[in-house]
Amino acid sequence: MALLEIKDLHASVAGKPILKGINLTINFGEVHAIMGPNGSGKSTLSNVLAGNEAYEKTAGEVLFAEQNLDDLAAHERACAGMFLAFQYPVEIPGISNMYFLKAAVNAVRAYQGREQLDAMEFLDFVETRKKVVKIRDDLLERAVNSGFSGGEKKRNEIFQMAMLEPKLGILDETDSGLDIDALRIVADGVNALRSPERGFLVITHYQRLLNYIEPDFVHVLVHGQIVKSGGKELALELESEGYASWSGEEGP
Amino acid sequence: MEHMELRKKAEDRFITVGFPTTKEELWRFTDVSPVASAEFSGEWKPSSLAFECMDTICLVFENGRLSMERSCVLGLPAGVRIGSVMDCADARIGRLADSQSAFVAANTAYFGDGTFIGIADGVELDTPVHIVYLADAPGMVCHVRNFISCGKNAKVTVVEEYIGPSSPVGHPYWTNAVTEVFVDDGGRADHYKIQREAPDAFHFQTLEAHIGANAAFSNHAVAVGGALGRNDIRGKLAGQGGEAICNGLYLLKERQHFDTHMFMDHAVSDCNSHELYKGILDDKARGVFCGRILVRQDAQRTDAIQSNKNLLLSRSAKVNSLPQLEIYADDVKCTHGATVGQLDEQALYYLQTRGIDPVQGHAMLTFAFANEVLDEVQCGPAREYIGNLVQAWLNEVAG
Repeated sequence: MALLEIKDLHASVAGKPILKGINLTINFGEVHAIMGPNGSGKSTLSNVLAGNEAYEKTAGEVLFAEQNLDDLAAHERACAGMFLAFQYPVEIPGISNMYFLKAAVNAVRAYQGREQLDAMEFLDFVETRKKVVKIRDDLLERAVNSGFSGGEKKRNEIFQMAMLEPKLGILDETDSGLDIDALRIVADGVNALRSPERGFLVITHYQRLLNYIEPDFVHVLVHGQIVKSGGKELALELESEGYASWSGEEGP
Repeated sequence: MEHMELRKKAEDRFITVGFPTTKEELWRFTDVSPVASAEFSGEWKPSSLAFECMDTICLVFENGRLSMERSCVLGLPAGVRIGSVMDCADARIGRLADSQSAFVAANTAYFGDGTFIGIADGVELDTPVHIVYLADAPGMVCHVRNFISCGKNAKVTVVEEYIGPSSPVGHPYWTNAVTEVFVDDGGRADHYKIQREAPDAFHFQTLEAHIGANAAFSNHAVAVGGALGRNDIRGKLAGQGGEAICNGLYLLKERQHFDTHMFMDHAVSDCNSHELYKGILDDKARGVFCGRILVRQDAQRTDAIQSNKNLLLSRSAKVNSLPQLEIYADDVKCTHGATVGQLDEQALYYLQTRGIDPVQGHAMLTFAFANEVLDEVQCGPAREYIGNLVQAWLNEVAG
């Protein structure tokens, strides 16, 4: 069984077609990178997969662990094991990170028919996850992403992923706005979560992130279509030659 | 109690001036004619309402009358006096609330009971004082008067709560309260006001605070009850180094109308005042917030922040928000702002991508909106108490 099967996916935003026939299969344990210039449809793809209602799927089919995504609302996709790490994580003043995480973990557990974690069990669980993805205690106590630096927000995304233990982690330009140290910390977190039971879709403009999160496959997305696929060496090729040969744009 | 002259003057004033109309600037958005035209001929009766006492010091009034049986003011530490305002001989009563409003005038003329809290210089009372006004007598008027005196370097926490039945009493009652607070130099008074009157009740209160040098006063006003109500909150920073925090939360539904009028007077230099008011409105509820900060010419290095944020859960709910700054000094830091809006769709989506369904997400974000005010509540028991109240209100609105 494939983890994710995208077949001829078309999608539009505010009536404007963005994705024009995407085909992609991700198996359990694989890390796929999607690279592409600005406006190629990278963020649209992640939002369509996650179930953002502002994005409209107009044609094609997406199967997530053999379930048709059309049958699942955004929260059901999350409960079924899909996780989107946002390019711009949303600030939610008034809800502490811990409270938020507990609500999320228990929502997912309820959906999967597992028992709810009580306060003590939840704290224990947080401790075990903190060993995998490092996060400062004060960030857990503060309101969700409120006043966090760019790096702290991205680290919080990865920590949430560690808590929710998804089947598929989608990283939407997680490297944007990060300095090299923050990038390394975030990449370490993702690498710690790599496992044969989990796949990743890493969406990025730059090759830089892929120095730290080594993909099994690289796909080039231009004008809403995958124009080339290959191994990790394709990322290096793009680094030196840019996207120009496909899009007519300037390289990075 | 010898305040005959004061009371006589106030009565004359009330009779001459009468109830305000919407033609007056301060009452533009709040029509009090339902109060003015109602007949209040209800008779006193003991209250059958139960309540949850927050702590060991508790003063309970039944339909405006002190009930010693239900109160607990035993074993007060030295320097602490708590009892009926009718037994208070402090000459400062009526000095702050100057009867310019008809509601204050009526209160001064007719108040029949209320609370007196006196904390002597240097005495710190750590246990919060819970004052409970139970009201369930149809057609009654309760003019209650509270007087709080916090001495030099003294400390007191007061929770003033107005409770009515959760269903209409039929013939509305009217609570008309006035609370005067003096915080002497170096003192600290934290005041919480919780209004959860009957759904058809009228509730009006004027709170006046006089804040001395290096003294701190805080007020958190939570309003969930009543058909028609208003808080007038007036603070005067009268000594250098004074600090005032006046926060509030109004949770309104159906056809409730609640008005908050705030006035902060920076009379001298080097004082801070912070105001955060939030409203959540559902159905056809109407909220009014008017906050005026006056920075007088001598009030240099004033730091004043005022913010009013409103969340509308329904298209028919409405808010009038009027933050106002009036500044005559030139070296000050003052900001104000007001917002009216709906829940953040992006935040709702973010919660959904973490497995939280839209109904729960909606409830979480609504609570989060109110939580900003709760976070500011320093007194633990009060924070928990108010938090539960907010949660119960939200559950009711969601259900």
